[in-house]
Parts: sequence; C-alpha cells; structure tokens
Amino acid sequence: MSHIARTDLIITSLSDLEGACRDLGFQFMADQKTYRWYGHWVGDAPMPDGITSEDLGKCDHAIRVPGCDYQVGVVKRDDHYILLWDNWSAGGLAGKIGPNAGILKQAYSVRRVRSEARRKGYRIRELRMKQGVRMVVIV
Amino acid sequence: MKEIVIDISDDGEIRLETRGFKGKACIAETEFLKNLLGRETHRQLVPAYYQHEHQKKAVRKYLPLCG
Repeated sequence: MSHIARTDLIITSLSDLEGACRDLGFQFMADQKTYRWYGHWVGDAPMPDGITSEDLGKCDHAIRVPGCDYQVGVVKRDDHYILLWDNWSAGGLAGKIGPNAGILKQAYSVRRVRSEARRKGYRIRELRMKQGVRMVVIV
Repeated sequence: MKEIVIDISDDGEIRLETRGFKGKACIAETEFLKNLLGRETHRQLVPAYYQHEHQKKAVRKYLPLCG
C-alpha cells in the first residue's frame, strides 16, 4: 500500500446519476422544475452551500422514489449538480436514499468508477461489504 | 499486482487505497478516480510511497574468513 485518500463526492455526470436511479428503482424525471417537499423552510438542518431558502423546491431535474411523498431535486450549479431533498420522516425519503443521500451517492459513485475503469481497460472486482461497496481496480 | 481499492460506504463516503505501488506513481494512477468522483479531502502517505520504483535491494556480501 502506498497511500490512502478520502474524497468528497461531486456529481458531474447526469447520465451516471440517471443510471444510478435506474439501479435503485428510482425514476429520474428529466426537466422537472420543481420537487415535492414540506414547502416551508423550518431551519432544522444546515442549508447546502450556495443555496438559500428561496431556492428550495426548485430544480432542473427531479428524482421520484417509489413509496415516498417527497422527491429529490437535482440542481445545476456551474459544472456540477447538487441534490436537494427534505429529510422529514413523513416524506419517506430518509429510509430510501439513506442519511446524506448516501445510498444514491453510492450508486452514482459505483457507476462512475465502473464506466471509467472499463473505458481504461482495467479489470474490476466488486464486493458487497458490511457497510458499503468495495471496488478493486486492477491497474 | 497493482490495485486501487475504493470503499464507498452506505452514507456516501469514499475512501481510496493503493496497493502494490512504489513511490509517487500511486498518486498519478489514482488521479483519474479522484477527478471523476470529486475533491480529495485527506491524504495519508505510507512507507511504500517513499520507496523508489526501481530501487535495488541491498545485497550484503560476506568475505570468507576461514577455510
């Protein structure tokens, strides 16, 4: 081993996000300009960087999660996308997309690594671990 | 064998680990993944990082002292 790194995910590929939604059984609603949420900002969670209460409920695309009243908004910011959603339990999203939308972000990351590694001709092994997914790229 | 191990946790956290690399090659080899996924927030170098790719193993020679 020679180094270990941690990375904060930035969503840049809409097609991989769409693919991740398919993998999870979610529906990617291209060009849907609003997403369903509580409707009023109650200040119970930190606002994502660059987002104000005026921006909530508005999006460029949306994600519909089966069995949930609320939806995930996909907002374009410069060269990347931000996910917005209401975590209130009644909306049902928390259990399906995970804390911090981790399940959705995981599915996106897996797709991203898989497609790029294949494009480069590297072999990949994928393993389901106790608390996540392990991908081994053989260089 | 050179491997890049990517652990993606259920809460979306991403951890990359290189195995079998010597020297700075590991940084370059993982750059495409870091650029693909986002922004590197933490990096920990381990002893193999400080070894050169073509470093020769030291061979200790002994002189026969008797016989």
